[in-house]
Amino acid sequence: MKYVKSIALVDQSQCVGDGICEPICPTAAIRVFEKKAVVDGGLCRACGKCADICRKNAIILVPREEPLMIEVDAGSVDEEKIQELCRKAHLFPDQPICACTLTPAREAAAAVLLGARTPEEISALTGMRTGCAIYCMGAIQRLLCAHGVELTPPANNRWYLLPLSVWDIPEKVEKRHPGYYIKEDKKLYG
Amino acid sequence: MYNKSAAPPGIMQSVYGAPPRPRAADCAGIVSLAVADLFPRIQKGYVQKEGVSAIRRATVEALASVNMEMIEPGHTVNILASEHGFYLLEGDHYAEMVKTVRDVVEARTGCKNIRLRVAGGMATREADEVIAHYGLRPYFGGRAVGTHAFDKGIAIETEIGTLWGLDRIYDADWIIHASYDEPRDLYFYRMIDRVLKPFAMSYARYETRSVFHGNFGNRSCSFIQRAIFDSPFVQKKLAFGCFLRMTPAGITGVHADADLDRAGRIITADVMRDYGKMLRLLGSIDEYIAVLDGGRWGYYLHAGGIVFGCLENATYDVFDLTQPAAFGYFDILAKMAAGDPDAMGHIMLVNPAIRAVVVNQAWPGIPMSDVPMFARTIVVGADQAAMIEADPANQVFMGFAESADTIEEALTSARKLANTDKILIFDGSFGHINLSPQLAEYLIMKAPEIEEMVEHTLLPLWLRQRGIKPPKPATKSRKKK
Repeated sequence: MKYVKSIALVDQSQCVGDGICEPICPTAAIRVFEKKAVVDGGLCRACGKCADICRKNAIILVPREEPLMIEVDAGSVDEEKIQELCRKAHLFPDQPICACTLTPAREAAAAVLLGARTPEEISALTGMRTGCAIYCMGAIQRLLCAHGVELTPPANNRWYLLPLSVWDIPEKVEKRHPGYYIKEDKKLYG
Repeated sequence: MYNKSAAPPGIMQSVYGAPPRPRAADCAGIVSLAVADLFPRIQKGYVQKEGVSAIRRATVEALASVNMEMIEPGHTVNILASEHGFYLLEGDHYAEMVKTVRDVVEARTGCKNIRLRVAGGMATREADEVIAHYGLRPYFGGRAVGTHAFDKGIAIETEIGTLWGLDRIYDADWIIHASYDEPRDLYFYRMIDRVLKPFAMSYARYETRSVFHGNFGNRSCSFIQRAIFDSPFVQKKLAFGCFLRMTPAGITGVHADADLDRAGRIITADVMRDYGKMLRLLGSIDEYIAVLDGGRWGYYLHAGGIVFGCLENATYDVFDLTQPAAFGYFDILAKMAAGDPDAMGHIMLVNPAIRAVVVNQAWPGIPMSDVPMFARTIVVGADQAAMIEADPANQVFMGFAESADTIEEALTSARKLANTDKILIFDGSFGHINLSPQLAEYLIMKAPEIEEMVEHTLLPLWLRQRGIKPPKPATKSRKKK
């Protein structure tokens, strides 16, 4: 869940159309058309990453006329299916998987079960990865892969494929490196 | 035994924080306590700008025994630095070490194409601010570049599959790992492979950092940096490592080594002995008000060399690997795995000794909303409160926090709310701690007991768990080099 109070605004007179704002946007809300960045207000979740990376200071966040409440209603999805998807992804349904929005795995799983097929879609639907934009990507990819989605990273380096988790570490690697407690952590959190 | 409050390290102005304001150390009733008075066996160090010129000499001496024959005049070399190093005290010592590495490599190898790569975190301008502040671009002949977690990645093939580094870090024939041994966020890696951690964080794309923090436990996560470091890709490029050495008493020197595992064993033993004492001492306080007062994210501000984040979780012994979770969040997951229906309730059990938090100055931008959820929190200044309110990483923070106009007003409120006069200020200090006299009295009384416990009981245990032979306990005061 995220309460989106702001929106990115591009000062067209300052924008040089270099496009460095595109790949950092977690929802693909900003695109360059005819050498000017344009924001899709319906997708912008006000993370401010585009404003931060723009060295021309052409982008600022301004208050939305009408704030948006972004949330996927997990209650509208079969609870058993949520439980099953979370189990496959080695996540607990009540576990907060985004430190910024405190989104529980249940809500992100519901987004996947309702049709989200990319990290961008999950971010747009739940608000995940629209704070620090870093630490919940691993959980997002785990859920998508557990659902059988074949992820194809975008060409612009917005994200790379990395759904790796401790449960993917082969037993032979565990045994070769006992000092990292891989086997023990699998058991502890599994 | 305690003195008047000591001037904390100065604050570098940044777009990521509110303008610098009066410091908590200047408030009435604040005193300072020297780390050396608490723990006479901890190696004394340089504080603030003291000893910066000695760092050049120490770096030259440390590098004298390091082989550089692999670097040829026509090669390219990237010296890899991490932004956090520039926030240790006022950053001058780390900057001097980095500059000296450049000069020594050039003098010894004849190589002219030596570049600096300063790795930052989630803030994309942070590294460039550092480069400008320390004059690093002209020093490196224009070859100093900042990088961050969202920069173009490069695939690194490891024994556990493809992991992602940052292209700018590795775009040279050789890399030099120019780091520091200050342990920082111990609750995330438990002092396993400390010297390699930047390979999974500073030098890595955000997907790798996410996997490190979110998809592993806080013991097994350190295998990420091990896998990257052991990869043929990194091994082929790595020339050597050079580390700024610190204790809670300040900066003590420089260690350089081509064998990073050997460096890791040396650094691990020292960090556990020296920081272990301060961790256990500050972690033993029964109640206090924590004041965040520095030019960095609140979790990473130091008091006596220990970052606030470590004390937020100080109910655990993070060094003891038989304590499986040793961090509030991981504890919740372990309880969920064990079927505890009240697992989420345990989030309120994060160090109950912290009765209130005063944010005099600290950057927003990193998720910290758990702080006002577990402790009464007061933010100083309407400008700073507005920054936090607008911060997408802390959307609920101000909903739980209060604000005050001045640090004095905030401390008065915090004393009433927390019903304690014990105040601990996280203002970036090493060598001393700024605090209230009531807390100083407690630390003075408790330190000898803690020192004995760490030297004779805990340190041998911690080191055994990591396969490191325990050194003989220190028996007398060690002097500055």
